[in-house]
Amino acid sequence: MALSFKVKALSRSRIIKNTFLSFILLLSFILILFSKSDYFVVNKFKSISNSYLHPITSFVVAPVKFANNIQNQFYEFRNLKVENNILKEEIMRLKKWQALAVHNSTENRVLKRLLNATDNSLSLVKTASIISRNDFMFSKMININAGIKDRVINNMAVVNHRGLVGRTVDTSINNSRVLLLTDPNSSIAIKTISNESYSLLQGAEDGVHLVSSFNKNDKMPKVGDLVVTSGSAQVFPSDILVGKITKITKNNFYVLPFVDFKNIDYVQIVKTK
Amino acid sequence: MFSKLLSSQILIYNIILFFSFSLSVNFFVDFEVVNYIAYVLFHLTLVYLVFYFFKFYLFVLSFLYGIFFDVFLIDNISPHLISFLIFVALFYFTKKYLLNLSSNKVSFLIIFITLSMFFFEAIIANLQFNYPINFENLFRLFTTTIILFFPSLLIFSKIDKL
Repeated sequence: MALSFKVKALSRSRIIKNTFLSFILLLSFILILFSKSDYFVVNKFKSISNSYLHPITSFVVAPVKFANNIQNQFYEFRNLKVENNILKEEIMRLKKWQALAVHNSTENRVLKRLLNATDNSLSLVKTASIISRNDFMFSKMININAGIKDRVINNMAVVNHRGLVGRTVDTSINNSRVLLLTDPNSSIAIKTISNESYSLLQGAEDGVHLVSSFNKNDKMPKVGDLVVTSGSAQVFPSDILVGKITKITKNNFYVLPFVDFKNIDYVQIVKTK
Repeated sequence: MFSKLLSSQILIYNIILFFSFSLSVNFFVDFEVVNYIAYVLFHLTLVYLVFYFFKFYLFVLSFLYGIFFDVFLIDNISPHLISFLIFVALFYFTKKYLLNLSSNKVSFLIIFITLSMFFFEAIIANLQFNYPINFENLFRLFTTTIILFFPSLLIFSKIDKL
């Protein structure tokens, strides 16, 4: 009697365990499937986990962040004198450029008025700071403190003073994630300034360069050509600086972005006016 | 009550898991080594926990950590979730054979499983989401695992004695 009760209880607990295991495996399968098909439930889940779990992990790693900041400050302090001299030279150089830029800007405005041209400059949606980075190992992403409440929506262009940074993905109420240009899954429609050859760029394997994935009319640009957004994919506004062509192979060319992705503090979310 | 709770090994292992998870998903550009150490430590702790403190809740734990790792590091769900669940499920079905192994063999098995998990995650990320297999990253992970393996085992054995 006791033995049969024990066997029954054992088998019942095994059934419960196996049912639970099957449930977890089924749930995983559904999540993987939804994630692959970009189903809105998964997007919602991603934005929720980003909004609620991320502050907790940031709080947990605060001491390490603090140590990291102290280390950075120490290095900066050590290089202060050298950096000061470099900055003095930079100021001299920039003053010359400023004079030229003011002159060009005035000339540009006058010419536009003469041609009666439509202004397609960018309008700023929000300037945001980076709250954390997720570009370790696989994807190249950063988290910024601007979200739906700041009128930021998915697929908006993100720039900084050097050029294009990426585009917004997974926007939540207060935060958004930015898919950097260097991510292998980001795709940017670009054109070169010199011969207007149109291509698509994506992140290269090294995580630093961008590599062409498609060239229109198989027209190859030259090394040293500057690359800007073409605006043809309707995601990025046109004529935003992307980078410079550094290497050309048989079928592809490599672009070094102007943005230093290791030193981004503030970004601007922009859209076409 | 608190001392009893704090002396519980499972709780300490879970704190290590959460701390290393938090460090792994927050990238420090100038402190990259911390991310590698945390990522390796998470995998080592999970494998050790499964080997020596197997409970059914570890399925749920692997499921949750798998999803969150995927969401934060890849923005798509798959590689970590599949890798963690396959490992825990494989252990669950073969534990009666694995638990008969000597401690030395178990140690080598832990290191082998950890390294395989890194490789497996990279392959799934490549097949499903087009992320190229970065052999430099894998080499760094493998080296960190080998360096970190014995010190972490030493710490784990100290925790076990609490």
